[in-house]
Amino acid sequence: MIPRPVYSWFFNAYFQIGLGAFSVTASELLMKAGANHTTGPISWLGFAALASGWTWLGIICYVLSFISWIHVLRTVPLGIAYAMINFAHVLIPLGSWAFLHETISPLRWCGIGLVVGGLLLIIGPVAEVEAKL
Amino acid sequence: MTAIAIGLCVVCQLLIVVGQLLLKHAMGAQAAGQVLREHRARNFVLAIACLTLWFFLWLGLMRRWDLSKLYPFEGLNPALMAIGAWLVLKERLPAKAWIGLALISAGIALVAAS
Repeated sequence: MIPRPVYSWFFNAYFQIGLGAFSVTASELLMKAGANHTTGPISWLGFAALASGWTWLGIICYVLSFISWIHVLRTVPLGIAYAMINFAHVLIPLGSWAFLHETISPLRWCGIGLVVGGLLLIIGPVAEVEAKL
Repeated sequence: MTAIAIGLCVVCQLLIVVGQLLLKHAMGAQAAGQVLREHRARNFVLAIACLTLWFFLWLGLMRRWDLSKLYPFEGLNPALMAIGAWLVLKERLPAKAWIGLALISAGIALVAAS
């Protein structure tokens, strides 16, 4: 084991999961912005969106989140890590609302609330598992 | 959204699940010594292939619909992923986490219906 006294918190798997959730959100919003800026015929595969700089920024964020994710997978069980990174599913509609001016209906807010409740239920058992380790 | 679009959204989610299972198999420490290096490398490449296909399919879908309408399908993932990790990787999740996953799915259904 290589000692990493100064930056060890940065390499903590759970810190990386949080960082990953934010960079995934950024990449989704940027890719949507790229798709919005794309003109020309619409096809089922979105290659045309590569013409937009926003798409490339989104790809950079996605690659960063992927590197972080690989680091997380080395130590954290997939089921738990994936449930936790789904915090992004709360951030994404909020980001779509704040930055892309998409509307969220009251019923949709309720759905988002249920997702948050489910995530909180998952985080509880994870903390217990961590405490036992 | 059309039936084809909904079907493609589900295909997107399955691509992610398969990709992540392959990736975890390639990166996970628990299988060290049991799995040949070539198997890990092959799974890593297959995982990248699955996720690349997902990426372009997802970009295509995003040109047609709002992200807040598409994202609920990505929310199917935690449930599918937990089932996949349980079946394929033999991971065990606490009962409370399964309840949480059910709540997330219910929330997604609500968002998708609104």
